[in-house]
Amino acid sequence: MADKKIPEVDIIVDEKAGVIKEVEQPKKLRSKKGHERRVNGTIYTVLTIMSIVWLVPFVFLVLQSFRSYKLEKGGMVDYLIPKTFSLDNYAFLFEGSNFFSWCGKAMLLAAAVALAATLLTHFLGRSLDRADASRGKTTLTLGAAMAVCYAALAIAAGAVHGQALGQRLVPALLGLVLFTAAGVIFARIYLKQDDKLLRSLPGYVAEDKHEGAKKVATLAAELWALALLCQCIVAPMQASQYIRWYGNTLTIALFTAVIQTVIVLSVSYALSRLRFRGRKLIMNTVLVLGLFPGFLTMITLYFLLKQMGLTQAGAVPGLILIYCASSGMGYYISKGFFDTIPKSLDESARIDGATRFQVFLKIIMPLAKPIVIYTVLMAFMAPWGDYVFASYVAFGHQEGYNVAVGLYNWVNTNDFQNYFTRFCAGGVLVAVPITALFMALQKYYVEGVTGGAVKG
Amino acid sequence: MASLKLEHVKKVYDKNVVAVHDFNLEIKDKEFIVFVGPSGCGKSTTLRMIAGLEDISEGTLTIGNRVVNDVEPKDRDIAMVFQNYALYPHITVYENMAFSLRLRKMDNEEVHRRVCEAAEILGITQYLARKPKALSGGQRQRVAIGRAIVREPQVFLMDEPLSNLDAKLRNQMRAEIILLRKRIDTTFIYVTHDQTEAMTLGDRIVIMKDGYIQQVGTPQEVFETPKNLFVAGFIGSPQMNFLKAKLVKNSDRYAAELYGIRVELDEKRSAKLRAKNAQPGQVILGVRPEHAQLRFDGAANAIEGTLRVNEMMGSELHLHVDLNDDTRVILRIPTLDLTEEQRAGLTYGSKLWFTFPEKVTHLFDPETEESLLF
Repeated sequence: MADKKIPEVDIIVDEKAGVIKEVEQPKKLRSKKGHERRVNGTIYTVLTIMSIVWLVPFVFLVLQSFRSYKLEKGGMVDYLIPKTFSLDNYAFLFEGSNFFSWCGKAMLLAAAVALAATLLTHFLGRSLDRADASRGKTTLTLGAAMAVCYAALAIAAGAVHGQALGQRLVPALLGLVLFTAAGVIFARIYLKQDDKLLRSLPGYVAEDKHEGAKKVATLAAELWALALLCQCIVAPMQASQYIRWYGNTLTIALFTAVIQTVIVLSVSYALSRLRFRGRKLIMNTVLVLGLFPGFLTMITLYFLLKQMGLTQAGAVPGLILIYCASSGMGYYISKGFFDTIPKSLDESARIDGATRFQVFLKIIMPLAKPIVIYTVLMAFMAPWGDYVFASYVAFGHQEGYNVAVGLYNWVNTNDFQNYFTRFCAGGVLVAVPITALFMALQKYYVEGVTGGAVKG
Repeated sequence: MASLKLEHVKKVYDKNVVAVHDFNLEIKDKEFIVFVGPSGCGKSTTLRMIAGLEDISEGTLTIGNRVVNDVEPKDRDIAMVFQNYALYPHITVYENMAFSLRLRKMDNEEVHRRVCEAAEILGITQYLARKPKALSGGQRQRVAIGRAIVREPQVFLMDEPLSNLDAKLRNQMRAEIILLRKRIDTTFIYVTHDQTEAMTLGDRIVIMKDGYIQQVGTPQEVFETPKNLFVAGFIGSPQMNFLKAKLVKNSDRYAAELYGIRVELDEKRSAKLRAKNAQPGQVILGVRPEHAQLRFDGAANAIEGTLRVNEMMGSELHLHVDLNDDTRVILRIPTLDLTEEQRAGLTYGSKLWFTFPEKVTHLFDPETEESLLF
């Protein structure tokens, strides 16, 4: 009886009695299923309508950005899909700059150097492995190799841009120092895990066969980014208005993201782990202060910045200062996350010989990856889309605008009808990096939000 | 390897909660000391003060010849095993164990040698490349111990290391800790709430309650001559039976009268009572469950009781017996001592009688709860 197949859920095999009983499915249950289906249907319909309503403005913006400002004039036209799709608006954004040729040259150079650096690192690393050299020596050699690569790059970049050797020498030397430092750091990371030692263990199972290759690739990518940076030093790009605004926004957002993340995480860690007099008071005060909108301080801030010469032409550093100023107040979510990491990990690491800072860096940071990413994203996004602060700090000074302020000025002129489609194109390009960031990091983002919230 | 000295150590938390009162203890080099007591007795706090994770409110702590009150945990040369293992989840077992050595900037080869050696001792060599989450509880605990032994510390602290393991594994690990101790001969301080662990592991046991040390002594000492009611009740399982009795003096010999029987105390006990100048009157008489002898026939000079619960433990029976004034006592009777019929007769409500030899009795003052025989 027992090995009889059980074809459906509705039939229950009663092993003791040896009978197969058919259990009638109650009618209520069936109708419940139907009810569920209807409810789901309604929910999905509502959600679909909502998402369409939500998406319409974006679709509209993207479509408008492809309507040529030369051929189909006008701000508000009575049709949605442009008659001819053109890239005129986008071209306008880059007009008067050598952006594409600059990028092309830079990439070509950087790629070549990265390739050389990769090969060098790889072979050097291998031969050094074989030679059983000490860690310090290996580190230095790798660093030096990369520095040589950089010097070659700087001189070559200068040659491409037609500069004299004298002009090339300064950035080349500067880069030499930079790259030696970077090389040492990367090489240390590269050699840290001691794969060789691990592999000699009897039970070692390689977790990832391509780990070595991955490390080399990462290294190459880092070098590539640095090479681009050097290119900027060697031959600054001639920028159009839009590119300058974009650059301003990017600079502000990047600096803010880094500084704010460091401050927020340190403050949250301190409030989560250290017990000091006035801790509760600080937390409560900050929470209450946070209830006041930041705009209340606008006029005061403007005068303070003005005293320091950080308005108009100095708008970029001024804005970075403003955005970073109160960042410690955003400790709440990450503190909640840190609270969920067992305290005994800290204690154990401290007994193992770590200082507070080493505990933070080596134990807490790797475990708090979601909240780090969440903090970086938040810190990047706020200045990226800010209009209010940016508009009054850079007031009237084109060079200091960020994208939001600049684009607003286009549609605030007498010719606003004609600038509308260009405004749309500018808007689309602004959305690109933030969208990419979100898509890449959304997994962590959700973990960060919920992880911080659960035991907040 | 170092001796430790705690002098008048006191821990006061905010709001004037005193967790540890005037703790005095000298721990010899290479000694295995166990702090035992119910939860909230201050044993973990004391350990954490030794580790440097809690500030010492008053008193001095000396490790070796150095006063370490204000020394950071990392500079005290101690290692600690936590109850919840506290392994670093993001790195492999190998790196977990190597963590402290790397912080000390130790040579790679030396790190490798030490980690492998520790892994060998603990039998976790095949797990070195795994992350902690891929290990079972027992394996994790081994890694935690391994992380401590690679350090070769002066003092080895363990904070209830076995309480997260299931009963079987706990017994196994207990035996392994005894073996481990033989191999790495150093000073151990072990905190537990389990008196069995304390008895089996410790060279000396420190029994604590409400922040006070109740008694310090070898397992033998605290078992045979408990200093007060609390120690007597805490050490030994099931716990000692306490019976109301009357002390009577007959020339220079003492005797105790309880439940209609009279227990003549031997010369050794009488001498101690005389030395304390004990006056006849109310006392508490303590008898361990295993010292009771069962009588079925209502023999003279035996205490009568009614059986309430009969727990069959395999090699022995635990009989919960109510005396005529509703005092509950527990008797531990070896199963082999009873015949089939006698065992069958031990059912709910059946009458039985028991006695005990006078040389195993303990006497306590009901007022101060101190032992009269200490």
